[in-house]
Amino acid sequence: MREALERIYDLLFGLKEYAILTFLIIVSLVLLSLNDNSQVKNIRSVATVVFGVGQDQLSFITRYFSLWRENELLRRVNIELADQANQLREAKLENLRLRQMVGLKEQSQYPLVGAKVIGKNLTLMRNTITLDKGKSDGVQEHMPVVSEAGLVGVVVAASDHYAVANIILNVDFRASAKIQRSRVDGILAWDGKTLLLKNIAKTLDVNVGDVVITSEYSSTYPPGIRVGIVSNVREQAGTLFKTVLIVPSVDFVKMEEIFVVTQTPDAERLELEQKAFRMLK
Amino acid sequence: MEQYLRSALVAVLLLLVQTTFIPYVSVWGYLPDIFIPWLVYLALRRGQIEATVSGFAAGLLQDLVATKFLGLAALSKTICCFIAGYFFNENQIERTLGSYRYVLIVTLCSLIHTVVYFLIFFQGAEGSFLMSVIQASIGTTLYTSVISVLPMFGFSQRYHTSWAQ
Repeated sequence: MREALERIYDLLFGLKEYAILTFLIIVSLVLLSLNDNSQVKNIRSVATVVFGVGQDQLSFITRYFSLWRENELLRRVNIELADQANQLREAKLENLRLRQMVGLKEQSQYPLVGAKVIGKNLTLMRNTITLDKGKSDGVQEHMPVVSEAGLVGVVVAASDHYAVANIILNVDFRASAKIQRSRVDGILAWDGKTLLLKNIAKTLDVNVGDVVITSEYSSTYPPGIRVGIVSNVREQAGTLFKTVLIVPSVDFVKMEEIFVVTQTPDAERLELEQKAFRMLK
Repeated sequence: MEQYLRSALVAVLLLLVQTTFIPYVSVWGYLPDIFIPWLVYLALRRGQIEATVSGFAAGLLQDLVATKFLGLAALSKTICCFIAGYFFNENQIERTLGSYRYVLIVTLCSLIHTVVYFLIFFQGAEGSFLMSVIQASIGTTLYTSVISVLPMFGFSQRYHTSWAQ
């Protein structure tokens, strides 16, 4: 009997690791099955509260990390929002410009082709712009270029898909223009620094603030297009003419969308004028 | 007695670190279990029985402050520590702790622990059950293995052993 007991004891002692493992697994499984027990819940809530005190003491370190992360997140959000605000502002401005252009197109009695300014060559003497429309869009040389603000210039070269225009701030540009109020005529020209209305006799009525528009005398530009406002009138000694300085209506620096007036000069009129000119010569 | 008190203190400390700081170093949502390297250390130093009991106690401690499944961490850590106990060799303790073998044992034990844990944890969850278990187990195991390299180097210096042995 004693031998048998000893043998059982040896067997159990030899398997004690497994016995402990089995016991602990059973306890774990029992605990798992008691998860919804109210007493177990109470014990857990007490443990959570006690443990929470310890966590609270350490939270000053984690708070630093969370603030650091939050700061980084806010900075990223700030950049994204700034970018969105910029895009919205751009869209709003574009919308405004397009509305003005649509208004011009609806009011205009001439055929217009909308174009985007894709290049600017502003070198003081001979300023030009490049447009994203060309011959395939009906754009040809000598066609006037306008915007909702007024006269921009004239097309001087055109390929199939692009065109280059002299703007009114170009020494090669000439146009017949007049004072809207007093109907005094002159020649619009750029001297490299200032936009001028030339050939205006000293006796004629021109005041600062007068609006300058294109006149009917031009075979290229439709009459009545706003050019600018008289900013200064100088009387020069020893000459018969006044120097009339003009501030252009168009802001050439900000200009982005324009129209090409797809109207070619009246051939009959041109022919007659040239014939008369030759006869006079 | 003193060594049990010390172990209990370490367990509480590890639990505080695990629940307070470790969430801040998550990688793709995976967190290391810093209990595993410590429990493997206990298994390699004190043997299978102590490790199994320690694993159960540590798991139960984790369960008490966890939001659900009381007994789940206790169960998985008991099994994992029991397996770790098989690597106990009284004559090789320092050599094993200070070498890559320690990391390999941690990896194996962590894999067993996470598989057992997530097999129950993901029961009834939406989506692919098996895929969730595999992903969570591998992610957590790899991270825990990487973490265990630090104590390995520590043991290697302390016991003047080469980690590559």
